[in-house]
Amino acid sequence: MISVENLRVVYHDVISVLNGVSLRVDDGEVVVLIGANGAGKTTLLRSICGLIKVFDGDIIEGDIRSGDTSLLGLDSMDIIKRHRITYVMEDRPVFEYLTIEENLEAAAFSRRDGEIKKDVEQVLEIFPPLKNIRGKRAGYASGGEQQMLAIGMGLMTRPQCMLLDEPSLGLAPLITEELFRIIEGLNREGLTILLVEQNAHAALSIGHRGYVMETGRIVLDGAAEELIRNEDVREFYLGAGERERKSYKDAKRYKRRKRWL
Amino acid sequence: MVDFIQAVGSGVLVGLIYALLGLGIVVIFKASEAFNFAIGEFLVIGSFLFYVLFFDLRLPFLVALPLGLAASALVGALVERLTIKPLLGRSPMSMTIVTLGLGFLLRATVQLFFGSHTYSFFLDLPDITLELGSLIFLSDPIWAGMLSLATFGLVLLLLFRTRWGLAIRAVSESQARSMAYGIDARLILLVIWALSATCIAVAGIMISNFGALAAGSGIVGLRAIPVVLIGGMDSIGGALLGGLIVGVCESLVAAYIEPHGMVGFKEVAPYILLLLVLFIRPYGLFGTVRIERV
Repeated sequence: MISVENLRVVYHDVISVLNGVSLRVDDGEVVVLIGANGAGKTTLLRSICGLIKVFDGDIIEGDIRSGDTSLLGLDSMDIIKRHRITYVMEDRPVFEYLTIEENLEAAAFSRRDGEIKKDVEQVLEIFPPLKNIRGKRAGYASGGEQQMLAIGMGLMTRPQCMLLDEPSLGLAPLITEELFRIIEGLNREGLTILLVEQNAHAALSIGHRGYVMETGRIVLDGAAEELIRNEDVREFYLGAGERERKSYKDAKRYKRRKRWL
Repeated sequence: MVDFIQAVGSGVLVGLIYALLGLGIVVIFKASEAFNFAIGEFLVIGSFLFYVLFFDLRLPFLVALPLGLAASALVGALVERLTIKPLLGRSPMSMTIVTLGLGFLLRATVQLFFGSHTYSFFLDLPDITLELGSLIFLSDPIWAGMLSLATFGLVLLLLFRTRWGLAIRAVSESQARSMAYGIDARLILLVIWALSATCIAVAGIMISNFGALAAGSGIVGLRAIPVVLIGGMDSIGGALLGGLIVGVCESLVAAYIEPHGMVGFKEVAPYILLLLVLFIRPYGLFGTVRIERV
């Protein structure tokens, strides 16, 4: 179980991106994190998996715990190996000059067991489109294939929990559907997932619980079904206003409710 | 005509050594986008380490060579740890500038330990002088070329057929992504510097064998500049081709142009060639081959 408590993160010593974020991911869940661009979702994932320093960020306050142990100060290799939390970065993080197979093998580099080849085959079974192009260089694969490869590479590290950063970004709706079906399947087999998405509808459909983030804070949380029905979520993230398209005047902040609750 | 073949042949043999130097530069550049200006000093240090083991301690060749290379690898790793790692995340230009200063520091250190005088360096390798009609290729250059080629081949084998090579290629593409998948990018960078130092040491030993070794011998390391700029700074194949081109260019100029009075022009010629290549292909012949999906 991952818990984030009052996390504050600053980039380049001066840009405050997370302003007190608290959330929780229980084992076996799919937790969805939605929010507009710049809300700090990727920063949160980077912080959890120990990569924040690579991007010149600092955790200046708060705690991140896996079970009882604090993850602060650990680097990504430790967190993957000992806490089994793997982060699949945004924008299809594959090695473009390596083939599909080589990518999967590279992701398993830190493993010392002998089952890597078996796992490669298993991942190719989970993502049938990858099987057809296994010898192709990843840079030539389509966006959907690259995203599947990235998630497959994450699986190669044998995680208990995967942090997925906007997997549907830039993908066609049908591919997104297939992808989310696979993600749901992985969860059913026991993988805990923290899913950051802009495609709120698809994400909340497969999620158990969700959080809404805005400018570095959690502004709403609840069960996924409730969030889908929440009026403000529907208007801001699902694009379904109950009334007619409002005039800009009505959307002005001082006329809106001041709080999310 | 015979002269031409002779010149080209000698040029190829020397070019293979240059290619190995180029490989040492390219491998580091692919991983950290930094140009190692201390390449000459790495060359000299590698040669001196071997010198001490083989000539001073009189260890057998087949012991001294791997030991010497291992020692060079260690020096490369040490340099990385002390000077490059603290700059992780900073601009590649910072690292390049650091290697400039590092070169001076290393040269002074070598002079401290070995003085500035010349050491005679002579490996008694089996004589494989090649005589084909009126062509003659001396044994030492042939050994130098063949051993350089063999080293180049071993590095290719390492990079493309082993797990560690895979990790090196992955880290060279993106450190952040590698770390996200659990690959220890900092360790791999260490390995890359050690690998580069080893290649340069092999080249250094071959070059020293042509006559003598001194603290200032490192100047020949800068011949790697036209090699990698012609071939492409991030291309391994480019290093091989660039090395051959520079070697043959030097050799042809020495054979055909220098006798007319312009002594020493063979040092300049590769740079003129470099200029011409850069006019046509600014990134070198094989540089930045970008894979783009259309």
